[in-house]
Amino acid sequence: MAKGVSSAAVQAEQLKQDGNLYFKKNRLGAAIDAYTEAITLCPDVPVYWTNRALCHRKRNDWARVEEDCLKAVQLDHKSVKGHYMLGLALLQREKYTEGIKSLERALDHGRGAHPNSYMVEEIWQELAKAKYQEWERDSTKRSWELQNLKESCEIALREKHGHEDAADSTSQQLADLKLVFAKAAEADIPTEVPDYLCCKITLDIFRDPVITPSGLTYERAVILDHLEKVGKFDPITRETLFPSQLVQNLAIKEAVGAFLEKHGWAYKMD
Amino acid sequence: MTSPSASSRKALSKIATNRLQKELMEWQVNPPAGFKHKVTDNLQRWVIEVNGAPGTLYSNETFQLQVDFPEHYPMEAPQVIFIPPAPLHPHIYSNGHICLDILYDSWSPAMTVSSVCISILSMLSSSSTKQRPNDDERYVKNCRNGRSPKETRWWFHDDKV
Repeated sequence: MAKGVSSAAVQAEQLKQDGNLYFKKNRLGAAIDAYTEAITLCPDVPVYWTNRALCHRKRNDWARVEEDCLKAVQLDHKSVKGHYMLGLALLQREKYTEGIKSLERALDHGRGAHPNSYMVEEIWQELAKAKYQEWERDSTKRSWELQNLKESCEIALREKHGHEDAADSTSQQLADLKLVFAKAAEADIPTEVPDYLCCKITLDIFRDPVITPSGLTYERAVILDHLEKVGKFDPITRETLFPSQLVQNLAIKEAVGAFLEKHGWAYKMD
Repeated sequence: MTSPSASSRKALSKIATNRLQKELMEWQVNPPAGFKHKVTDNLQRWVIEVNGAPGTLYSNETFQLQVDFPEHYPMEAPQVIFIPPAPLHPHIYSNGHICLDILYDSWSPAMTVSSVCISILSMLSSSSTKQRPNDDERYVKNCRNGRSPKETRWWFHDDKV
C-alpha cells in the first residue's frame, strides 16, 4: 500500500484524468467537481487550476477563470495556459493593459517551449486582437483631441487677423495649420508595413523573426514548416539550411516592436 | 477513378488565404509587366492573361495561364498551366502543361505568382523556335485522364531552347 502523501498525489492525478474525460464529453460541472477534489488533495499542482479554469472559461465564468489562473501562475510563473487565460479574463473586464501584459507573458513562455504550436498561434491571435482594439480606442481619442485643437487654432487665427485686410496671410497660415495637423495624425493612418519588417514567405509583419546563415530573415514557425515539408534549404538563396542554424533576429524583433508601438493598425488580422 | 485534381480542390488553409490576399493586393498595385489578372472572386484559381514580349517570337500573341493553389500554398507549388491554345514552345505541351523546374521540384515558398509569371515569360522570350516538345503526342496522351502536371515525373529540358 502507498503511504499518505503519495497516495493523495495518485488519487489527485486520477481525479484529473476523470476531469479531462468529463471535459472532453463537455460535462463541465462534473469536470469542475473532479478538478476541485484534485485541488483539495494537492493544491500545489498548477495544472489542476488551469484545467478547472478552462472549464470556467467554457462557461464564460470569467471571475473564476481569473481566480484559478492567478493561483496557477503563482505556483508556476511559466504557466502558458495560466497567463493566457488570465489575460483573457482581464480583457473581459476591460483591464486592457494588464490583460495584454498577461498575453505577452503567455506568448513568451509558449514560444520558449514550442515555437510553432497551435497554442502560440492562438495566443498571438488574441494578443493581436487586443492590441488592435487598444489602438482603435487610443487613436479615436487622439484624433478627436487633434480635431478639437485644430478647430480652436483655426478660430484663434481668424480672430487674430480679424477684420484686417490680411486675408492672404490668414489663408496661408490656415493651410499650413492643416498640414501640421495632417502630419500629426499620420502615424494613425493605416498604410503598408515596410517590406523589411515582413517575412518573404508569409508577406506578413514578423512576429518571431529568425535569421539564417545567408543573412535572410523569416518567420520562425513558417521557416520550420518549410524545412520540414519542402526541403533543407534557404527559400531564397537555396543554400543548405538546418533548423539548428536558425537564430532569433533580435534587431528585427525590436524594429517590429517599435513599428507596432507607433502604428497599432498593423495588428489587424484578416 | 478519383479525379487527380481533387487534392488541389481542398479549401485553402488560413496561411494560404492570408498570403494570397497579400499577393493579390501587391499585384493590383504593382502587376508584372505583360500580365493581367482577370478579376474573379475565386482566390484559389487565378486566370492570368499573358502578352508575348515585343521583339520576341510571341509578340502580339496573347495566352491565358490558369493558376490553381493547393491547400498548403506556399509550402506546395501552385499548379500552373496554359489554357489551350498554348504557345508553341519546346517546353510547353499542347495540353498547356509547362516543363519548368520551379513549378515542381525546384519550387520555393519565397516565390510568388508574380515571380512565376516572370519566369514563364522569360522562358517564352528566350525561345528561338516555335515548336512542340518532341514527346508532345505521347505525353498528352498519357495525361488524357486529366492528370495534373504536378504528378508528372518531369525530366527537365535543357535551359537553352
